[in-house]
Amino acid sequence: MAEQPQWLDPGVLARLTRQFLHARLPMEGNVTGHHKSPHRGSSVEFAEYRKYVPGDDIRRLDWRVYGKTDRFYMREFEADTNLRAYMVLDCSGSMGYGSGATTKLEYARRLLATLAWLTVQQGDAVGISCFDYHTAIDIPPRRNPAHLRTILDSLGQVKPRGETALVGALHDLAERIRRRALVIIFSDCFCEVEPLLECFQHLRFRKHDLAVFHLLDRAELEFRFDRPVRFVDLETSSSLMAEPAIIRRQYLEQLQEHLDRLKTGCSQFHADYRRITIDQDYEKVLADFLIERARARVGSAGV
Amino acid sequence: MTFLQPFILWGLPLILLPVIIHLLNRMRHRSVQWAAMMFLRAASRKSTRYARLRQWLVLLFRVLAVLLLVLALSRPLAGGWLGWMFAPAPDVILILLDRSASMELRGPGATLTKRELALNLIGDAAGSFAGTSRFVLIDSATQSPGEIEAISALSELASVAPTETAADLPSLVQTAVDWITRNRPGSTELWIASDLQASNWSPESDRWNALNAALEELPQRVRIRLLALPAEADDNRSLSLTRVRRLETARGSELELDMEIRRGIETSDRLPLTLTLNQGRSQIDLAAEGRLFRHRHVVPLETREGGWGRVELPADANDRDNTAWFAFGPPPILRTAIVSEDPLAGRYLALAAAPDPNDTNRVARPIPPDQLASVVWDEHALVLWQGTLPKDDVAARLEDYVSSGGIVLFFPGDETGSGSFLGNGWGDDSRAEDEDTLFSVQQWDQQDGPLERTAEGLSLPMERLEVTRRRAINGEHTLLATFQDDPPFLTRTATGDGQAYFCATVPHPDWSRLQDGPVLVPLVQRLLQAGGARLAEVDFVACGDWDPSATPDTWIAVDSETRRDPVTQAGVYRAGGRLVAVNRPAREDLPGTLEPAEIESLLDGISLRLFEETQQGGDALQSELWRAFLFVMGIFLMVEAFLVLPERGGRRPIPMTLAPDDTPGEPEKELAA
Repeated sequence: MAEQPQWLDPGVLARLTRQFLHARLPMEGNVTGHHKSPHRGSSVEFAEYRKYVPGDDIRRLDWRVYGKTDRFYMREFEADTNLRAYMVLDCSGSMGYGSGATTKLEYARRLLATLAWLTVQQGDAVGISCFDYHTAIDIPPRRNPAHLRTILDSLGQVKPRGETALVGALHDLAERIRRRALVIIFSDCFCEVEPLLECFQHLRFRKHDLAVFHLLDRAELEFRFDRPVRFVDLETSSSLMAEPAIIRRQYLEQLQEHLDRLKTGCSQFHADYRRITIDQDYEKVLADFLIERARARVGSAGV
Repeated sequence: MTFLQPFILWGLPLILLPVIIHLLNRMRHRSVQWAAMMFLRAASRKSTRYARLRQWLVLLFRVLAVLLLVLALSRPLAGGWLGWMFAPAPDVILILLDRSASMELRGPGATLTKRELALNLIGDAAGSFAGTSRFVLIDSATQSPGEIEAISALSELASVAPTETAADLPSLVQTAVDWITRNRPGSTELWIASDLQASNWSPESDRWNALNAALEELPQRVRIRLLALPAEADDNRSLSLTRVRRLETARGSELELDMEIRRGIETSDRLPLTLTLNQGRSQIDLAAEGRLFRHRHVVPLETREGGWGRVELPADANDRDNTAWFAFGPPPILRTAIVSEDPLAGRYLALAAAPDPNDTNRVARPIPPDQLASVVWDEHALVLWQGTLPKDDVAARLEDYVSSGGIVLFFPGDETGSGSFLGNGWGDDSRAEDEDTLFSVQQWDQQDGPLERTAEGLSLPMERLEVTRRRAINGEHTLLATFQDDPPFLTRTATGDGQAYFCATVPHPDWSRLQDGPVLVPLVQRLLQAGGARLAEVDFVACGDWDPSATPDTWIAVDSETRRDPVTQAGVYRAGGRLVAVNRPAREDLPGTLEPAEIESLLDGISLRLFEETQQGGDALQSELWRAFLFVMGIFLMVEAFLVLPERGGRRPIPMTLAPDDTPGEPEKELAA
């Protein structure tokens, strides 16, 4: 067996293996699977009755209804299909920041790799899209377990660099994915909010289920500096000399406003938004993510 | 500003510590790789001017707090007088010291007198100018400038010792101006130490205008520093003798002492006075009332010789105004010269002047007209002149006699005459028409003068005096008594030390019943006593106003073996057989001090800095300010703390820690629907 990358923890995988990654919306797969399809199919789950029209398969005629009503009705069942998940990883320079032991990119790798492993394990297809301002890695979704190795190898190659190209990459992705899919974004979203929300709207317009892991470092949230600091931009290498005591209030105001607008926009476009600080236990983050999606599916099924 | 620990002021550069720390802090910046630059740039753009101003204010208050801490540790002293240390050193400092008796006052609980306090303050302040400035002392008692070699020994100089004199500040400043004019120093400062006693400063004097003009005309810059010590003590009393008379009465020789006691407050209590008379001591218990209390004390004399004595108050805030000195001589022979046109009137006048033939101390001597030119008027205590006024040489010699202290009482004659004496002359003659319209005296001065009440408080029977004939008195004079229809009965005209009296009627049956005695005898005897005082062998002089060096005699204090200076020290002094009682000038006991604004108006146009030392306690010399400095420092630190506090209220609360938001979006329901 090939050696597993460090961001795939066997213990975590073993504990999460019973969890199932559910789509909140009907998916369009190419094989039968565990996810609801927008089409009628041959599953055991009853969908509706409709009048017989010539050409229909008489095997699906409901003879009991005919016996009672002397009319021909066709029984229709839900179709189950597989899931196509696209994992989008922001590889811009800002993702390389981490005040503690890990960076945002490292944290995102763990989340992404684990989710990819779970997706393949449950028989669904997974693909990744890693991009920065200059380069992009795009691996289309496949169900093959050997495909997981390709994904993990690609993840190992990405490095944080350059300015973010999240907006362009998402629009491009929305255009390229023709069937309904689950799009999971891993990013710190350090870009203008409005263009980003337009991307989300674009993806939602294409009927994709959208989840956003907004990754932040606690130092970015608290901005606790007591001495003058020269801040060097991780994306452009430009620097800014600042007196934290003077600008801290304005910084926190700006950040708060950004987070509020992003959260409100995600809610508006029905994106599954999760703000994560990278000092959190990623296993718990994933477990919560999977459980809440499972609950959401059960809830929608009961309606 | 003066400091008790001035070496700590070397720590003043420490005020730069906050600035240095601030700069070091900026220099010691570290570089941080940062991702959220978009918020940082926006925050930097929006960093308001107030935030930067607040940073500078915080720095300023930190600097001020350190400054005040250093100053407080240096123990600064209060007082504008000592605050002069920062002024540039003048070439000459003229110290004008008020050595009057009132400067010996001690404040409540104080151990130093005003003069000692002033000397200490001046000595401390002058210490900083030692080596850079010359010091010249001019004291109010001698007013003779003297250069001080060692300013540290200022308080040990004889010329700063206490005196019983009064100060004449205009004269003192004039002496200083004269000295400056004569010696032409460079920049000069006058340091005046005074208690601002109004009678010493004479604010009404025209001399101040001349002094201001003289100071302004000086070529060099002259500044005046006034150390004012106006504090008064309510419990202080002063004693003075307003009159001392030796009386020869039927009871024998008596000494009549008229004393005056002044107090700071309106009160009444019993005062035990100590009377010393020719080495014998006795006590007088007085029930004194009010701020100003007058008392006449009569002491029987057992000798016909002269003597001396003093009256003393118990010790109080000022020991220099508690004693009054007196001296008296043997009873003088009171000679009366009688010049009369009418023999009968002359006899009446002689009887009034020497009523007791056995009394050899009273001699009445009629002067025939042909001896008028040869009479030695100065040996007479009184001259009674009835008839036409003296003329020519006689009038001139008589005026000299009056000027030197003699007293003349004129009565009219049958002739009006054309002459006048000291501007006064006789006018028209008028007679009462009948017995029912006799002239009578209705108003006269009963408080003072020869018609005053008796010692027992009885009035002279003036209203019973019948006058059938009178003559008008023309000229400038003081009215002492008037008839019921306004013409004068008795007038007084003063010149030099003597007086000339004019009486409108004559002790003669054709004129009046003045010869009956109840009015004429007291009138003549009182004038005789007043005129006789000139002949006494003792003098009463004011301390500082008398120049004993003008006499050829050597004056020795009668009550002490130690040598005392009669110019500055009160007491009784003897030279040969002559006694002089030297007392504080009466003006030195007058209450009232000038306000600082009045001083400034007196020295209008002159650079004047006035420091008012109101506390009289010894500790008040150096009032420390470190508490105030620490208090202000505390305020500065509180302001600094307030400035560094984060803003609150009004605006949307700013989360100091943004908790991760794990709440997922919930689009499922909408999607499912």
